[in-house]
Formats: sequence, structure tokens, C-alpha cells
Amino acid sequence: MFALRALRRLLPALAGLVLASAAHANTYEVKLPPELSTSPKMCDYAPCTEVMPGATSFSERKGQPPFVEAYKDDGSQKKLLGYVMLSTDITDTPAYSGKPVVTLIGMDTTGKFVGVKILKHSEPILLLGIPESSLIKFNNQYLGKFVGDNIEIGKSRPDENLIGLDAITGATVTVISQNQVMMTSGTAVAKQVGILKPVIRPQAKFPPATTIPSWAELVEDGSVQRLTVKPEEVGLKGDGPYMDLWFGYLNQPTVGQAILGKDGYASLMSRLKEGEHAIFIIKPAGMDSFKGSGFVRGGIYDRVQVRQDKDSFTFRDLDYVNLWSVSATGAPAFSESAIFIIRGKGFSAAYPWKLVFLGNKIDKETATKTFANFDKEYWLADKYLEGGRPVVVKPDPTWLKVWKERAFEIAGFIVFLLAISAAYASRDKLVRRANRQRRWPVNAFKYTGWVISIGFVGFSAMAQPSITQVLTWFHSLLFQWKWELFLSDPLIFVFWVFIIVTVFIWGRGFFCGWLCPFGSLSELLFRLGRLVGLKRFQFQLPKPLHDKLKWVKYVVFFGLLAVSFFSMGLAEKLAEVEPFKTTFLVGITNRSWPYSLFAAGLLGLSIFIERPFCKYLCPLGASLAMPTTFRWFGLKRKDECTSCKACAKGCGSQAIDAKGNIDQRECMLCLDCMVLYYDDHACPPLAQERKRRTKAGQPLTPINGKGYFIPIHQVPAEAQKKGATA
Amino acid sequence: MSIEDIKHDDASPVPARRRFLNSAALAGLAGAGLSVGLSACKQEAAAPAAGAPAAAPAAHGAGEYGKYEVPPGQLDEYYSFSSGGHSGEVRIYGMPSGRLFKRIPVFNMDCLVGWGITNESKAIIGTKPDGSLKYHTGDTHHVHQSYVDGMYDGKYMFVNDKIHGRLARIRMDTMETDKITELPNVQGFHGTFPDKRDPVDEKINHTTRVFCGSEFSIPLPNDGNDMNDPTKYHSLFTCVDSESMEVRWQVLIDGNCDLVATSFDGKLAATNQYNTEMGAHYQDMMSSERDACLFFNVARIEEAVKAGKTKTYGSSKVPVVDGTKAANQDPKTALTCYVPIPKNPHGVNASPDGKYFVCSGKLSPTASVIQLDLVLKWFDGDLKDPRDAVVGEPEIGLGPLHTGFDNKGNAYTTLFLDSQIVKWNVEAAIQSFKGDKNAKVVLDRVDVQYQPGHGFTSMGETKAPDGKYFLSDNKFSKDRFLPVGPLHPETAQLIDISGDKMKVVADHAVYSEPHDSIIVKRELIKTRQVYNLDDFPNAIKDPKESGVERKGNKVTVKMVSQAPAFSLPEFTVKKGDEVTIILTNLDKVEDLTHGFAIPKYDINFIVNPQETKSVTFKADKPGVYWCYCTNFCHALHLEMRSRMIVEK
Repeated sequence: MFALRALRRLLPALAGLVLASAAHANTYEVKLPPELSTSPKMCDYAPCTEVMPGATSFSERKGQPPFVEAYKDDGSQKKLLGYVMLSTDITDTPAYSGKPVVTLIGMDTTGKFVGVKILKHSEPILLLGIPESSLIKFNNQYLGKFVGDNIEIGKSRPDENLIGLDAITGATVTVISQNQVMMTSGTAVAKQVGILKPVIRPQAKFPPATTIPSWAELVEDGSVQRLTVKPEEVGLKGDGPYMDLWFGYLNQPTVGQAILGKDGYASLMSRLKEGEHAIFIIKPAGMDSFKGSGFVRGGIYDRVQVRQDKDSFTFRDLDYVNLWSVSATGAPAFSESAIFIIRGKGFSAAYPWKLVFLGNKIDKETATKTFANFDKEYWLADKYLEGGRPVVVKPDPTWLKVWKERAFEIAGFIVFLLAISAAYASRDKLVRRANRQRRWPVNAFKYTGWVISIGFVGFSAMAQPSITQVLTWFHSLLFQWKWELFLSDPLIFVFWVFIIVTVFIWGRGFFCGWLCPFGSLSELLFRLGRLVGLKRFQFQLPKPLHDKLKWVKYVVFFGLLAVSFFSMGLAEKLAEVEPFKTTFLVGITNRSWPYSLFAAGLLGLSIFIERPFCKYLCPLGASLAMPTTFRWFGLKRKDECTSCKACAKGCGSQAIDAKGNIDQRECMLCLDCMVLYYDDHACPPLAQERKRRTKAGQPLTPINGKGYFIPIHQVPAEAQKKGATA
Repeated sequence: MSIEDIKHDDASPVPARRRFLNSAALAGLAGAGLSVGLSACKQEAAAPAAGAPAAAPAAHGAGEYGKYEVPPGQLDEYYSFSSGGHSGEVRIYGMPSGRLFKRIPVFNMDCLVGWGITNESKAIIGTKPDGSLKYHTGDTHHVHQSYVDGMYDGKYMFVNDKIHGRLARIRMDTMETDKITELPNVQGFHGTFPDKRDPVDEKINHTTRVFCGSEFSIPLPNDGNDMNDPTKYHSLFTCVDSESMEVRWQVLIDGNCDLVATSFDGKLAATNQYNTEMGAHYQDMMSSERDACLFFNVARIEEAVKAGKTKTYGSSKVPVVDGTKAANQDPKTALTCYVPIPKNPHGVNASPDGKYFVCSGKLSPTASVIQLDLVLKWFDGDLKDPRDAVVGEPEIGLGPLHTGFDNKGNAYTTLFLDSQIVKWNVEAAIQSFKGDKNAKVVLDRVDVQYQPGHGFTSMGETKAPDGKYFLSDNKFSKDRFLPVGPLHPETAQLIDISGDKMKVVADHAVYSEPHDSIIVKRELIKTRQVYNLDDFPNAIKDPKESGVERKGNKVTVKMVSQAPAFSLPEFTVKKGDEVTIILTNLDKVEDLTHGFAIPKYDINFIVNPQETKSVTFKADKPGVYWCYCTNFCHALHLEMRSRMIVEK
């Protein structure tokens, strides 16, 4: 325990040393006052005036989701200037770090953004590498833009009414999520204050009720839906659900009468004016109330909401009607119930909608509450709607948009990966065509792979895989797996799927040796160095030293993994041991000197030592090396390899030990040893045989799959006979 | 030994009841197979209980009665609207829990809400020329709601004041009294019932009239003449318009009126009469063997009123038609029909199938079943004797008073003297009356504690009773509750009538003195959550309108309340001013009610969300008076004050 605590104290100190000269991050993981998210007087804790120039006073939080009104004292009159909102009050969209970027947003009364301020972010990329100012610059693009416009990352497309924003190179995921935060927050408030008019959807028409279904039948056809929240999803422990709600739409005569009974349905409908809708909620189980007690004082139910597309409908106390009981047979017993009346314009039961449970997640470490909501979609079945369900075009999720936009790039990348794989899969043919002096049949493919990897994958698409992704997975597997997060960077996603598959087929050497942009760059520099005559300065570390140092990368990996459990942020910082960010994402000249020096030093060293980073430091390589143990196809070996050291000498990876075994975890699959394997002038056992046969005047039969000349057997006739009768 | 075998003559019922109450005799009776009021399981439980008297029944009880309790977070299945007797109010309970939700001040004063204090409530109650209340007392007996198609429509509830002869209407959306009408020339206005549809116009299938009986006969007009000649005393039967609450007409009758019932077809109203003798002293009132149930032909009465066959009494302009026997000899033109009923009957109740009225005997151990189409036949001249309309008259026990009905054709009658509820079958009673000796009339009896007055079933006064509960409003509680001094609460006992056997499942203590109630399914009641600002012509809709306006010595103080403040932190008036304070509660949040009290000026009232109320008083005491919010509203409730400064 003590050790852990000490480590916890020590690590930030270490990180501090490491980052002593790094640019100062203003809002990275800063501690925000807890009242910021909870106090009615939000602007006492947030610099509201900075996002609402000219404002002199602010209201308390109002609305659901909440916002504040900004006023200017104009003599005796108070003039409404606009609205200020805190992004985390409205959406929990995570950024690259998996945590939200806490943003304070100002919007004037016409719906134009007038101020954006980051209060807190957890983005490592903005801590190291990309200056935070670039995000501020990004945010400033919103100023003056109307919340109702179609604003996306990328180029403007006037014909599609699309306003484009310049992304931050190397922080695409962050800005995509930031755009979502800005537009969701702005829209949520603009809708509430009437800047954006609700979408008027055509109202549903219902066929009359014929037979009244049971509860089981309602569940079956989706007329009642269940929204369950587990305790761990809100940072609590406990058996059973934190919140277990069943809900449904009551205006539909069949569903309504099944739930309320005939009289109850008639009574409820007589309360509703045209365009008003009733839903019911019951809570068969759960640790908390879905009503809370906020509505008692403030009149607003702050835990449940209905959303239809971008319109949200909140309930106040006057929208509540008692639900006495559920008359459908087989309905679960419940401890809490409600009928809520949706009075907002635009809601239509013909279209899908969601019940949203607005929860709070309690952070285990800091006990601070963060906003977390949970929703469940509801759409009346075809048979309950006259004419069936209307066709609904759902907007693509953000990640899908990205995939569609980059379809060509993604397709090209996949083709590239498959082509290189195909080449490697036919390595046996390629190595047979090559020999000691003439290695181009293999290298042509490998070098092509390197060049494309460095140029296209690395520098252009910035799809260099990183150990931070591995760490993120570990955390996602343990806590919450969000596909959206991983899918938001398509090339990285595709690359990782490919890497995981190939690691188990061929081992990590295929990615590391053939496709890793940095590894490729590193070895390419080594080859170029040799080409320009630096060969005499090129060297390998003595084998005993190498065998010790190669373990360092594992230590680095496990170190990072361990640190990540204490602080993902710190682990991300320490992951700067990878020069990838400096090399590809940011540019070696764009970073502060310690980073540039580190990356340049490694690349410089690469000219003289083959892949020094890959061999000794790379935590990503280490993480892939371990599963490589379970690869399906290794490289071929001969019995003589145990004593013959010919390959080992030429092995650039120093992966062949004294007994001739290839350490597949270290092997870069350069295939040099495989070229020798079939080369009857280079492979000693093969050369010996060649010489013997030549001397003995025996023919040189073709070399078989095991790397030997096909043996010449004298077949005795007797044996042949025996074989025939057997 | 079957139930019918327990004959009830004048002497037997008391020992019979004692037998039931006597646990020592219980085991022996159980052996004899007598199961009246006792389920088989109870008998089994009772026998070993002799050794361990307390523990076993208690353990047995928890599970057995659990389903009649309402756990936290759950809601009652029914409303029970109950009169408050001489408290002058109406009460709302939840059933089956018996929890008291609200007391609606009607004829009484209530300093919590300011009923009888605010100008608005005074205007409803009625004032003397000097602005003070005309009456401070009232005696509510009967509560009934308005109908649509034989079912409660949740619009109005009507309740009588027996002391001063007034009818009050409660609007069901706010559950507050909105009109009070004083009936002319009557005393002892006891029974009342709204009609259920129009007797002539088929389309009017809802309540438009309320009928009111007068129990005490008086000289007409009661202005000091004929005071010592009881033969000149009369009772009037009154019809009030349910919308305007104006008195439409009255009927002069022989005898008096007790309870009132109306038919589902709207054609008939009836009142039972216990004093056809017109005696002034009680021994005179009991002299006849038969009194009557008096039927009114509503359509004919209204024709007569239209035809001007009316007179008026005293200063009243209400047309009065003659419903006496002498004036209604020919059935074909008669306005009234006197159906003879044994000895001082009490209670007349309409069966849910619309066919019968049941009149209880009170001093006779019988209940009389009157077939309504036979009464109409009499009015057509096709039935010789009104008594022939009585089609059943079972002996059911001693002191039968009021009858409720279930959905299986059974009647439940309170037996005051027997202190029992008796369950009997209406059709069987009719068969038995015809001479069928095998007809099984009485089905079950259950003891209640003690001496039931009114009793009623859930939804029993509609065309669709549900046969789930019977509530027995007992007149005495004696030992049933923790003692609270000489004045005891009454016992309202809930009886589960859904099975073959009735089962007392709860004792609810109620403050004196409920007479009658109705048990209404919760989904039929639709209330408002807050008021509508526009409902009040004097509403102060904007805090900016707050201030003090003076016209001579008449001062109007306009104020709004918004938690936690009144819009005027102080206001100044002069000694001798007539001050009117108008207060609008601008809070919109449900349940956010404010109070307004002025020390030493005897003023307190509440304003509900979006409601406006006013008070007028003479500022006769100079000084500083801290007006404060009396109804808890906010964390800063204590700070919610205003200073009234009365200058010398």
C-alpha cells in the first residue's frame, strides 16, 4: 500500500521532470470547483463574462438542460444579451481522452456564438505536441456563426449548405467531438429559448383498439420499453439495477387501454388538448427515484426527459398525472410510477423518440459528479400506426460520416494492406527467386510497403499506431467500451484490426517490419546509410548486451500500463517515449527542442544501428511481441540451423540465438534468413550438399519445401513389391 | 342451522350479538356449524387462541390485512368524500387506507385557508349588511356528486346544511366550495340528491337539478304566525338548479322529508317520511304503524310550475306547487305519490339497476323494496294502491337505516340497534314477499363497532358499483381507539364485500361527525394542479402593479407573493382606514402555497399558486404589524414578511 502511494506521488514528480520544458497547458486536467456543475449560480464559478462580452449580470441556472441568461444593466433596464451554457450540463460527448472537454459557451439572442472557452480538458495531444492555442483557434471559428447552421469539420460545401471548419492537424478526434459538443449544446439551448423552432412532425393516426394486449404482448411488440442503468454506470456499487424503468406511449388506443384500462384511458385522454401526448413510466426496481425531489421546489422533473431527434421535452409538475396502476395482465409490480404529458410542439408518436434518464456519474477517485445520461428508443409498431411506420432518415452518426468522407482513403489503405499481405503470404515463392546477392524479389515489396507507409500512412494520413491506443483499450475493456470512440479514426481502426489479425497469423514482425511507419522510416534510413557508403560506421550491439537491452521495451510497456491505472493522463504523457507524435503528427520541427531532439536522435542513430528504437524501447512492439508467441505461421528452420550460425550473423534484428532458434518476438520478418534457406550458395548445409553432388556427379534435384535438394533414392525392387502387396 | 333460521324479533338480537362477541361461546357455536360473520379460518385461529390470547391473532392479522394497507409510494384506489356533520365541513379520505387528505370548509370557518375570513369566501357563505358573516355554523349530512349517464362526472359535489337550510356546491376540480344557496321557508334540510338525467329531454343525460328535503315542519311563512298550531306547520320539498344554484321550485307536502333519492331515468325523486303524523313531539311522531316514502313526478311538477299553478310564501319568489294528498287525489294528474312504509322509515336508496328504491324501516325490522315502474304505473292510473308498488319487505334486523348495493344484486343495510351490517339479496326478497318460502334473503351479517349510521358501497350510487368495499360510519367508538377524553372519534369501518362473507378489514378513526359518504374510483376525479390567474378578476398579474391606492379612507393594498417574498416589504395606512388587501400568489409551482397573517387583526388566509384572495378590515389599532407567510413555502419562509404600518 505504502509502495503504491509512494509511486503515486513519485510519478507526477517524474512526469514533471520529463515535461519540465514542455509548453504550459492551462486547462489540462485542472481542478474545477464542484459547485460549477451543481450551483444554481453557475456564473459565480465560471468566467461567464469571457464568453458573453458586455454582460454585467447572469441569472441562475434554468431550463433543462440548464443554461443561464446574460444581462446587461442598461440604466434601470436589464437587457437580455444572450445565454451562457456549460457543455457538460448538456452533453457528455467524450473527446479523444474518453473524457469530455468542459466548455463554456456564449450565444447571443439571435443564436450566434459569441464566446467559447475551454475550462478543462483531458486531451494528452493538447498537453504535449499540439499547443492548446490551436484548440482556442479552432473554437474561435464558431464566433459569429449561427447555431442553426449545418457546421461540420472539413471543407465548406455551399451547395449542401454546409459550413466547414478547419480541423486541427493531428487532433481530429478532439475537434470532431468538440464540434458535436458545440452544436449539441447550442441547439439544446436555442430550442428552449425559441431561437430554433421545433421541427413540426406530422401527427400519428391510430387504428382503433380491437383486442387489448397483455403485458407480455406489449413487451413483445415493443409497445413498452425498458431502460436499465447499472450501478457501475453511475459510479456506484450494488446488486440489481440502479434504475430499471418500463415506459410506453399512452395516446395509442390499444396501448393506452392495455396500460390504463378503458376508463383510465378515457379519463386521461379527456385531459389532453390536441397535440398533447402522454407517456407512462413505472419503476419495478432500482436504487433511486426517477422523479427525485427537484420538482417539489423548482417544479421541474430533472431526471427524465423525452427526446425526439434534436428536440427535447422536459416535464414540470403540472405535466404530471398519477398512474394508479397498470391494468395489463402480467405487468410487473412497481414502487414508483408516473404519467407525463408532453406539451411541447412538434412531438409525434409516428416517429421514434427516446426516454432519457439524466443521471450523474460519481467519480470514484474524486467523488465529483459528472453528467451522464442514458436513453432508450421507443417507436410504436407498424400495426399501431395507421399506414405503418413512416420512413425515417436517420442522420449518420459522426463516426460514420467520417468513414464516408474518407471512403477513398480508407479503401486505398485497405488495398495497400491486402497487397502487402498477399506479397508476404507468397514469401516462399519470393524467397526462392531471390538469393544472397539478388534480394529485390522480396525487397521490392517490402521497400514499397515502407515508402507508402512512411509517406501515406505516416505523414499524410497520420495513422501511426501508438501504445496509447493499446492503453485505451485496456481501459475500455475494463470500464466502458465505446465503439464510437475507436471508430472515429477510421485508418487507425482498420490498421488495428489488421494488426491484431496478422499478429496471430504471422507475428508482430509483419506489422513492425513491413508496415509500421516509424519502423519503416528507421530501417529505410539504415539502408540509405549503407547505400551512401556509411556501412563502415554501421554496427550492432554485442549480442550479450543486446539480449539484455531488448527487455527494456517490455519494462517500458508494463511501466506505462501500470501508470495508466493511476493516471491515464500521466501515462499519455510518458507515452512520449514514442517519437511517433513528433515525427508524424506534429512534425519534428514543430515541437519544442527536447521532443525534436529525442526524435531526431533516434532517427539519426537509425542510420548506424538497425532499428534501435524498435529493438530496445518501443512499448508498442513489446505489447505486440507477447501475443506473437501464439502466432500460427513461423519461419522455417532446418536441423542444421542448431549448429550453423550463417543466418544469425546476417540477422539485422539479432533475433537468432546461439542455438539457431529465431526469437519470433524480436524478428522483423525481413526474410533474409529465408532467402538463405533456399540459396544453395549461401545456406551452408545446402552448399555442402550441392558441392557433394557436383563432385559425385549426381544431379542437382530441385530444393524441396524443407530447404533440401530432393533426395535421390535407390529404390530396391523388392521393397517396391512389398509395398504393393501391403 | 342456516342464517335464515336466526329470527330477529324484538328480543332476540341483543343476546345473539352477545353470542358472537363472547369468545367463550365461540368454540361451541363453531361446532354447531354457525358461521355468521366468521370465516372458517377465523374459527380455527380462535380455538387455540384461548391459551395464548394475544400472540396468535396478531401474527395472523399482519398478512391478512396487509392488502388493505397502502405502502409508501403507492396510492389509494378510491376517494371517499364524507360529510363532517356539525363541523360544517366536507372531508376527503383515501380508501382503503382511510388517510385524511383534505377538509373542505363549507358552512364553517377555517382559519387555515381563511374560509369565512377572505372577501371571496364571505361572499359565498353570505353576509349581513355590515359585511359580517350571516352564519358561522352548519351541519353537513349528505354528499353527492353530479352525474353523466348514471356515472360520476367529476364536476360538482353537493352538500346540505341542516341547521340553516342551505345547499352548497363544491367544484371538484379545485375541491373548494363555490356556491351556497339558502332555501326559503324550510328548516331541517336533511336529505339531498342530484338528479341523474332529465325526465323529459332524453338528450340531457346528466345532472341539472338537486332535490332537497326539509325535515322540520314550520309555519309558512315562519314570521311569527301560527306558532302554537302544529297542524299548520308544513314541509317543502325543494328543487335547485345545479348550474345556477337558484331555487327552481318547491312542493308543499303532507308530512316531512328525511332522506332523498332520485331515479336513474330522471323521472322520480323520493323522500322517506317518518312523521306523516305531523307530530311536534317524538311520541306523536311514532304513533302511526306506517309512514311513507313520498315520490315526486318531476315532469308533472315542472309542467304545473310552467302553468302557473303555484303560490309563494312570505318574501320568497320561489313558486310552490301543492303536493299534499288532498290536492293529488287523481293519480293521472297527481304530482306526488305517498307509498306507505312501515313505521318511521329512514333512508331511501336507489338500486344500481335503476329498478328499485329501498326504504329502511328504522323502527320496523324491515326494508321495503319499491319498484319504480309500479310507481310510474300508479301515476298513469294503472295501479290501484300506492302500497302495491312495494314488492319486497324482508325482515333484516333491528334498526335498519341505510342501504348500499354491490354489483351482484345484493343490498347491505346498516342495523343501528343490532350494530350489524346485513347483506341481503334484493331479488330473493321480492320472491320471498311473493310467498316463495325457499328464497334465501339474508346472506350474511357482520358485527360492527358500534351502532352504524350510514353505510355505503364503493361506487354504490352509480349504475356501475364494483362490489369491493362497504364503509360503515359508526356512531360510537367507545373502546376502539386510544382514549382522547370524553369526546370520542367515530369509527369508520371498512368491510371487504368482494367475497361471500363480509369481512371487517380496517377501523378508521374519524373526527365527529360524518353522516354520509360516497366512495369514488380515483380515475373519475380530475383535479387542477394550480389555479388559473385569469379566474380572478382582481388578480395582480405583474409585481409592478403592487402598491397602495387610496380613495378617501378606503385603501387598497395590492401585493403579490413569490417565494420567499411579498412584493411589498412594507405598506402604510392610517388609523380609521378601511383597508382591503389583495394578494395574488404568482408562484406557479404546484403545492407552493403561501399564507398571509396579520397579528392582532384576526386575519389569516392562504393563496394557492396563481390564486388571488382579498380581505377587508378596519385599521383601528395604530402600530407596526408584521404580516407573515403562515404556509411553509421556502427555505426562507421565516423571512417572508411584510410590515403593515398603521399611522395614528
